[in-house]
Amino acid sequence: MSAQAEGMVVGLLRRTWAMTWKDVTVELRARERINAMLFFAALVLFIFNFALGPDREKLREVAPGLLWLAFLFTGMLGLGRSFQAERENECFEELLLTPGDRESIFFGKLAGNVLFMVTAEALILPLFGILYNLDIWAYLPSLALVAFLGTLGFSTLGTLLAAMTAHLRAREVMLPLLLFPLTVPVILGSVRATEVILAGGRLGEVGHWLKLLAGFDLIFLVVSPLVFEFVLEE
Amino acid sequence: MGSWGFIGLAYGVGSVALLLYLILLKRRLRDARDELAALEGDGGRGSR
Amino acid sequence: MGERTVAASVPWASEGGRAGARPSLAAKALGAAAVVVLATGLYLGLAVVPPDAVQGEVQRIMYLHVPSIVTAYLAFFVVFCSSILYLWKRDLRFDAVAVSSAEIGVVLTGITLATGSIWGKSTWGVWWTWDARLTLTAILFTIYVGYLMLRAFAEEPQAGARYGAVLAIIGFLDIPLNHLAVQWWRTLHQPSSILRPGGPSVASVMLVPLAINFAGLILLYTYLLLERIRLERIRHRAAETRLKRGRRG
Repeated sequence: MSAQAEGMVVGLLRRTWAMTWKDVTVELRARERINAMLFFAALVLFIFNFALGPDREKLREVAPGLLWLAFLFTGMLGLGRSFQAERENECFEELLLTPGDRESIFFGKLAGNVLFMVTAEALILPLFGILYNLDIWAYLPSLALVAFLGTLGFSTLGTLLAAMTAHLRAREVMLPLLLFPLTVPVILGSVRATEVILAGGRLGEVGHWLKLLAGFDLIFLVVSPLVFEFVLEE
Repeated sequence: MGSWGFIGLAYGVGSVALLLYLILLKRRLRDARDELAALEGDGGRGSR
Repeated sequence: MGERTVAASVPWASEGGRAGARPSLAAKALGAAAVVVLATGLYLGLAVVPPDAVQGEVQRIMYLHVPSIVTAYLAFFVVFCSSILYLWKRDLRFDAVAVSSAEIGVVLTGITLATGSIWGKSTWGVWWTWDARLTLTAILFTIYVGYLMLRAFAEEPQAGARYGAVLAIIGFLDIPLNHLAVQWWRTLHQPSSILRPGGPSVASVMLVPLAINFAGLILLYTYLLLERIRLERIRHRAAETRLKRGRRG
């Protein structure tokens, strides 16, 4: 790689890291986001149990779906807040003045969102295992892979749409309304793969779903930063 | 409902939907034209 | 930083005195042609072509259902292209095409959903099943209704155009992914009769009303598109006039 290209990549990574670090430190101070996400996830898991009744077998059947419902609703909550600080403090203009590409802002925000969502999932998963009596530990590596691929895809489009809806009227409704239909491939792929894994199946059996998830992630990881600049401009 | 009942329903819904859209479009066009005419007719009278 | 100034003046809105006041000759011709072609297709599909050997008379609903969804996809492809062009050239004409095509596409998708559901009721006895085709159509409908809502709720029209263009690009790229995912998820629907590697498996006589109705809907779509663009043009002109008025006062 030429020295110039190398310099550009390093610059991008550094600016991205700066953006992520900013979001993480803000969160660590107040812990607002992650607390809300965890509390909401626990609530969801409990309520599902009450809503679906005591039948152990029935719960087992729908468990993968429930897990991902918890992940997705929690993720949605986190995404909704990812541009909240900027919106409330009118910092959008400040973002634009930061030297560097819009791409690094996008990747920085994305990394932060993925971090928060994965952290939440890491805490939800054991709780889920306990409440629904499922041995998640035996399948942890496979589950983690599926969770990561799905989270990445969901967060990529989620970050883009969160930036777009930050200014809108009815933004709490618009973000889910726009995001969920677009992320149906992620939802279907993640749930189906999780289902097979929790039933003891091997990763090879869900190869096509994993490829779909990976393909989804790749496509939108390329396209989203490209169109992100059109979302941010003023 | 017999077969032709369903067929009638399907084509009926389709036609009504397209017709309604067209009628509403014409109405929006008329309103927009009126609004534009009002704005342009307001010519030299200065800002409101 | 300011290399992307948005065009405040829209030439097509202000040129010509009463430009846009009446439907163009081309539009009127297209509208008339659409009526003729669709009437022909209707007649052929309902009165001339024999009923399907397996499904009976209700198969005739397909002569509306299939052309409807294909035209909708065409409409959304137009939205995709004009959205890219808008973000690239910043010419509001492209944005006008995008929003117009999306509106008509949503109407056509709605018709597809309704006719699909009615066909389902007549064949399977239920108004809704989560089979691949119906589900995909419902998702498509939601995506583009979301597009229209996004534009409507934006803080100002320029932002709405921008956001909409981004969403339209993302949405269209998403469609094939949705297709794969939903089809793998379940297929109760009959496998695609027309778009199969071996060629159409529909009896050739049935292809005639399908093709005619498809042509008719394309003509109708084009007519509606031109009229809807004309509406945008008038609105742009009104906005521009208001802007000039504000500057003067």
